[in-house]
Amino acid sequence: MNTDPEAGPTWNARSGDALLELEQVSRVYGDEVPVYALRDVSLQILPGDFVSIVGPSGSGKSTMLGLLGLLDLPTSGTVRVAGTDVTTLDDATRSRLRGESIGFVFQQFHLIPHLDALGNVETALLYRDVKPRERRDRAYRALADLGLAERAHHRPVQLSGGEQQRVALARAIVTQPLMVLADEPTGALDTANAEHVLEVFQGLQAPDRAVVLVTHDTHVADTATRKVSMRDGQIVSDERAVTQT
Amino acid sequence: MSTARDLLGVAWAGLTARRIRTLLIMLGPIVGVAAMVAAVGLTESAKGDLKQRLAALGTNLIIAQAGGTFGSQNPTFPADAVRRVAAVPTVTSASATTNLSSVIATPIEGGSDYYQSFPVPVRAADPALPSVLEVPVIDGRWLNATDEQLHVPAAVLGAGLAKQYGYLDGEVRTIRLNDTDFGVVGVLGSVALDPDLDNAVFITQWSAKHVFDTDGKPNQLYVRSQPNATQATADAIPTAINLGGPDQVSTKVPTDVLQAASQADKTLQQTALFAGLLALAVGGLGIANVMSISVIQRSSEIGIRRAVGHSRSKIGFQFLLESLFVGVLGGLLGALVGIGIVYLVSSVANWVVVISYHRIPVWMTLALAVSVAAGLYPSIKAARLEPLETLRLG
Repeated sequence: MNTDPEAGPTWNARSGDALLELEQVSRVYGDEVPVYALRDVSLQILPGDFVSIVGPSGSGKSTMLGLLGLLDLPTSGTVRVAGTDVTTLDDATRSRLRGESIGFVFQQFHLIPHLDALGNVETALLYRDVKPRERRDRAYRALADLGLAERAHHRPVQLSGGEQQRVALARAIVTQPLMVLADEPTGALDTANAEHVLEVFQGLQAPDRAVVLVTHDTHVADTATRKVSMRDGQIVSDERAVTQT
Repeated sequence: MSTARDLLGVAWAGLTARRIRTLLIMLGPIVGVAAMVAAVGLTESAKGDLKQRLAALGTNLIIAQAGGTFGSQNPTFPADAVRRVAAVPTVTSASATTNLSSVIATPIEGGSDYYQSFPVPVRAADPALPSVLEVPVIDGRWLNATDEQLHVPAAVLGAGLAKQYGYLDGEVRTIRLNDTDFGVVGVLGSVALDPDLDNAVFITQWSAKHVFDTDGKPNQLYVRSQPNATQATADAIPTAINLGGPDQVSTKVPTDVLQAASQADKTLQQTALFAGLLALAVGGLGIANVMSISVIQRSSEIGIRRAVGHSRSKIGFQFLLESLFVGVLGGLLGALVGIGIVYLVSSVANWVVVISYHRIPVWMTLALAVSVAAGLYPSIKAARLEPLETLRLG
């Protein structure tokens, strides 16, 4: 199950390899008084995984999310995406790898206010040799798949919370990432919209893709097939549901 | 290529999303460039009519005058002075005239007393004179080779004299020079560069020699030079004419005075230019200021872009391009506003519009440079922003 250390820096997941792997990762803040946000954490996200990362606030969930999403680098240890050690990459390469392999969904939706829904989804396809026409088509299809075809030219302020989160979802999946990484994706939604968004997440499950939800909502956590619990910067349990009904 | 296109699109979208603010920070380059265009345009246009006259006259006419040694009366050039001057390589054309001070013209019979007190200058001229002066013959014709060869007693009037004389177009009139009647065959147009000619009567060189018994040597030459060699040619003519001999030759370029008068007020121009530069510099500070605040306001956008895979340098370039757009558009609008001001004021003040179009790109480039320099710090700040801090995770 371990990634072959000899494997070249290929970004394509091979069956059996971890999509994303943390190995002995620590993240320390502060210089004079070091505070361990994460301490010696190892975790493998596998293709087909639907993982929830749970824990009380201050348990290191957000730090974990930053590291899994390649938005942050560990103080020590290794982070690998499909076998590639990202801690040695320069910003441009790491940014490209992040854009190509990870799709983000945030609690506060984080749409760019001056762009319409289509423009927001297109943002994820910029700077990667996609022709404007194709970029537009792909973004539109991603929106249409989530039932937002008629909202394509609405700005975020003209959309409801549920719609905004679905736009964010479209933005996350339009690049067909290896992993969708979500931070409390239902935290700002009412029950009906939350259910709808969770259904979408369940639908994202695919044999070659992983979905990771960071949450403190047990209901949300229960929809996942694997539950990683954290406390005080460490993983205290990593359970797989035997069957999902 | 596609990266550049995407960057341009993103920067443009960022600017157009906040139009009022974009317009406000654009005011710096707009005011700066407009002030400089207007400053130079207005000071030049105030002298525009003089410049226009100069352009029409041509600044390459040289008048050479025989000076003579001390005490000599009626100094003259050698008879072949035109040929000698024409040998100077930068001379394009030349014409000789002779002042006949012994000849009294009496245009109107009853006014002989008056004309003795205020004599009408009589000049012998060659057929080339109008073309060298670039002055048209407004009535009839000029003296020609046939007049010379057939000894025709023909005379041409200067424009001022013709008016005073009451000469009508096509009229058959004669003018009495000493005791001989000459037929008026034409009227020479007004000569702005040598107004003396306007009141003169012109006759052929044959008439000067044989009717009035003079030696026929010229004492005044009109010379056109190549456009950029006027002064050098004027300096060369005395030697060309007298070959180092004792006779004095003085030359003058009649447009020199006009040219000096047509120079714009440099002090005023520089003061206004300085004001424009100041506006540009203050505008640059404004851009830096507003862009810095904008980076903070848009930190969430920056975080999102980083999350979807835009690198630090892309973010930096995005903001740098925004200030570049501000510089380009501000400079362009400023140039238009400046040109508009010049046209507006000139039309009110009845000036001839003069705009230094060749200098506008320099000012626009300056505005662009200031804008980009002003955008540098905010762009670096944007690039350095940590996405984790702006996205408020967890």
